[in-house]
Amino acid sequence: MAIDYEKEVGSAKVEQKFLYESGNEMAAYAAHQINYHVMGYFPISPSTEVAQFLDTMKASGQHDIMLVPSDGEHSSAGICYGASTAGGRVFNATSAQGYMFMLEQLPVQAGTRMPMVMNLVCRSISGPLNIHGDHSDLYFALNTGWPILMCRDPQSVYDMNLMALKLAEHAKVRLPVMVASDGYFTSHQKRRVQAFAHREDVHKFVGEQPPAGFTDTLDRNNPVTVGPYMNEPDYINNRYQQSVAMYNAGEVFEEIAEEFAVLTGRRYEMIEQYRMEDADVAVFLMNSASEIIKDVVDQLREQGIKAGAISPNMIRPFPQKQIAEALKHVKAITVGDRADSVGGHGGNMVNEIKAALFTYGNTTTKVISRIYGLGGKDFYAEDGHHFFQLAMDAVVADHVEIPFDYYGHNPGAPENAPKRLLKPMNFDLLKTGLITVSKNEETGKLSVRVPPVRSLMKKPRRLSPGHGACPGCGIFSGLELFFKGIEGDIVALYHTGCAMVTTTGYPYSSHKSTFIHNLFQNGAATLSGVVEMFWERKRRGELDGLGLKEDFTFVMVTGDGGMDIGMGPAIGAALRGHKMIIVEYDNEGYMNTGAQQSYSTPLGHRTSTSSIGKTQQGKLTQHKDTAQIMAATNIPYVFTGCEAYPQDMLKKAAKAQWYAQNEGLVYGKILIACPLNWMSEDKDGTDIVSLAVESCFFPLYEVEQGITNITYNPEDKDKRVEVSAWLKTMGKTRHLLKPENEPALRSFEGEVQRRWSRLKAKHEHPDL
Amino acid sequence: MPIVNELGFFEIRLESIGGLGANLAGKMLAEAGVVGAGLNGVSFSSYGSEKKGSAVKAHIRFCDMNTHIRDTSPVERPHVVGVFHEALAKTVNVTSGIHEHSTVLVNSAKTPEELRELLKVKAGTIAVIDATSIALQEKNRVNMAMLGALFRLCPFLDTDIMKGVIEKSLGKKYPQAVQSAITTFERGYNEVKFMQFELAAGDSMPLYVRSDISALGYETQPIGGTITNPGGSFLKNLSISRSGMLPVFEIETCINCAQCDTVCPDQCFVWEERPDRKGRPQMFLLGIDYQYCKGCLKCIGACPTSALSSLREQEGFADSHSVKHQFDLVTPV
Repeated sequence: MAIDYEKEVGSAKVEQKFLYESGNEMAAYAAHQINYHVMGYFPISPSTEVAQFLDTMKASGQHDIMLVPSDGEHSSAGICYGASTAGGRVFNATSAQGYMFMLEQLPVQAGTRMPMVMNLVCRSISGPLNIHGDHSDLYFALNTGWPILMCRDPQSVYDMNLMALKLAEHAKVRLPVMVASDGYFTSHQKRRVQAFAHREDVHKFVGEQPPAGFTDTLDRNNPVTVGPYMNEPDYINNRYQQSVAMYNAGEVFEEIAEEFAVLTGRRYEMIEQYRMEDADVAVFLMNSASEIIKDVVDQLREQGIKAGAISPNMIRPFPQKQIAEALKHVKAITVGDRADSVGGHGGNMVNEIKAALFTYGNTTTKVISRIYGLGGKDFYAEDGHHFFQLAMDAVVADHVEIPFDYYGHNPGAPENAPKRLLKPMNFDLLKTGLITVSKNEETGKLSVRVPPVRSLMKKPRRLSPGHGACPGCGIFSGLELFFKGIEGDIVALYHTGCAMVTTTGYPYSSHKSTFIHNLFQNGAATLSGVVEMFWERKRRGELDGLGLKEDFTFVMVTGDGGMDIGMGPAIGAALRGHKMIIVEYDNEGYMNTGAQQSYSTPLGHRTSTSSIGKTQQGKLTQHKDTAQIMAATNIPYVFTGCEAYPQDMLKKAAKAQWYAQNEGLVYGKILIACPLNWMSEDKDGTDIVSLAVESCFFPLYEVEQGITNITYNPEDKDKRVEVSAWLKTMGKTRHLLKPENEPALRSFEGEVQRRWSRLKAKHEHPDL
Repeated sequence: MPIVNELGFFEIRLESIGGLGANLAGKMLAEAGVVGAGLNGVSFSSYGSEKKGSAVKAHIRFCDMNTHIRDTSPVERPHVVGVFHEALAKTVNVTSGIHEHSTVLVNSAKTPEELRELLKVKAGTIAVIDATSIALQEKNRVNMAMLGALFRLCPFLDTDIMKGVIEKSLGKKYPQAVQSAITTFERGYNEVKFMQFELAAGDSMPLYVRSDISALGYETQPIGGTITNPGGSFLKNLSISRSGMLPVFEIETCINCAQCDTVCPDQCFVWEERPDRKGRPQMFLLGIDYQYCKGCLKCIGACPTSALSSLREQEGFADSHSVKHQFDLVTPV
């Protein structure tokens, strides 16, 4: 990835080279130079690229970090925690919801004093879902006990990543360290960056191995008990140790930064001050915005205004003394917080700055607090001018007119207020009567009649056109076909994923019936709650006035790895037996975040975290059989389907509805094409999923009341094709047909055949 | 650099749809400046939930080595705009914020005068390159031809360096594509045509509008982010997602089997109920609503007859051949 195009020494003691790279690339670059032992990770924008770059570099043999693709951030943090107890070096990167999902693990990491380094590529937290950069995830980190280093640009992402490890492992610290940079602004913008030219110099700086003499769960001669049960009066002493270590981290950082400055010529103080020496007015901002404000300072200085800017390079421990010192003679300062501490009369930074002033006896500097740039709203130089104007106004008035406010919000024009456009869907059209399901009381079997698809063209679709999915995306052809088999009203819940983001881009929604999105992993639990509220309110007679003609069918839609991170809640909902359908569109990866491998990615398939290179040829493990896992929960109905077999899908949808209304939870998996990430032609999706069925990779079957029934057997019709006939249709798999990958191809074919043979045995024997 | 803004930057904005390679072209352009021309620079793209086929922007700033790069905000006052997809102008203000001395490069077969009319450009230089045709002829990508033309507009960049970058980035994975990429690049460079338009006396350029102002605000947005207008996405026009081809429907040979509709990801097919020969109500396919067609062409493979075929899209075809969906509106239009 990195382009080396210049070597230079300059004032530095080590040889360095110039790169032109983004923040994420530099985080990965530093990690690969350090050559951490283990990284447990899970995809989330905008930090995912860090793992992707490391995977690409690993595939070409540039490092040997063990990259562990986890099943969610709670697991990735668990993997990192476990690894960090075991004596080696550990790395992770995450953002926003990923950070929130692992939050429980983070104070444990700090409280049990296990060093590691994690990059938080800052992004706003849900809900509503927003993937852009602000500091709302970062502010949750303030109380986790991790020292936090701040990065204003890709250069500092690299530098801080090197210093972070040294800080974490220092004997006086022994804490996990977070490196925080701004999502997209820093993570995705390329800049000229200097890096150590030689890995040996990096190792000289951070130490070749982690320092010995600390907890190591792999030291058999010195067994330890990690994470005991500790009540009062001991716990407060543990916490005091941690507090001392945290304040030590401030001093140790200054020592490390000095050493780093000598080596590289780049110096990081606890706070960076820009033209503050005689400043009357100042602005405090963090990370990327704190760079933009320097241009504003220059412009104001040219007008004769004594302006200055300050920003921290470290916010845990908070540089209280340094900030108080810097503001000693400043008449007014505007503090911009890129996240609110809602109800706290200011974001976290302004309140800590006020505490700093108070602690050091400064009662004269006026402080103006503004919440800005939320959800990635850009910060322009003109916004910086506004912040300085607020400070100058306060100086003139000797008073702060509005101490706390938001900046950049707008009331909106009444004429643009949303108006209802579509009428509610016509129930009589949704309930066509053309699909019938009846139970044979003697055999207990369902008999289903579905009409030709043509007759169902009158039935309203569940979605409006106008969604933003890629050309040729198989999600909505697959889902709408499934919904054609569902009669009457539905309430839908979609997990986070392509289907959700492309149908709900504010202020538009493609959903004509009620739709809920909660989180990536928690849909099954959330819809369980809706279902139970439905039945309870129905029992109490509270739904009578809401226009309902028949019971809703509750449908949860998941995909893009939602059945990895959401497996636990899905199994929980299945075991509780809520009357609902979980339907998974399987596109064989985390396509929504840039095509990372999911457990559903088959062996050898190429994704952005299962790269192809001289040391690696795609995914290393076989694909997950979610249908069989769900069947093992003994729910009444499990099915698979795809758009190439429409009558088959319609029947299964009709059965799914019957079971979800009468018995309990249903799970179905629909294989859908993702032309962008399967690297196939937009037009070929239907044929490709059809080949997946005919090669027996994706058999069409159902498990009804525990009995397996193959609904389409390509062998019966002499239509079975080789797995390779399917694989050759996609760019992500063509490498598997090369002679050097024959062992992987054979292994994959063997697994497909093994699962198919077992399925046939189950089909033949109702007891299996 | 021929011209810089008050902070010392020469600024370029690329307007495209996902999938045409504008992001990659932006990266390569920036790298050519920073690696090859001894400049400092920054490059980035707009990111969101947008997928392939949606409008995207790429931003590039060049400056000399002594200028600090601090600004991370999007390019609002570009010196050069590169429009990768002419149809974008229908839904995106692609020339937003241009100066009277800016250059607007458009991938188009039209003349500069026609484009000036279409884009409502008051003054500036219009540069035209028929990148789509070149890419088709050379069996390469639109972005390489656009990159060639962009190089012409950035005389401080070295084309030999660029060819090196192309070779380096493609050579490993697609060595057979290197020569055609270089040819496409060179044709873009050589075939771009320019025309300059002066600002009429007394006239002024349109004021730029910041791109981050929302239509709904805190007084009009329903609380909690809830969308209370179900199905409103039908208002969107997805025509810009088509990158050259579209399906054509011939009603005479249609057997109304609905296989096209079954595989269509975008609900483009419009049906009507009327009596069949025996007088029973039955569904009949009327045509395609091109407002939603992204040109994936899945329907053509699904069609068992010759009722659907593909066509290189000509201007005006979709509008004149569209059969519009009828929506069940609260307030009928």
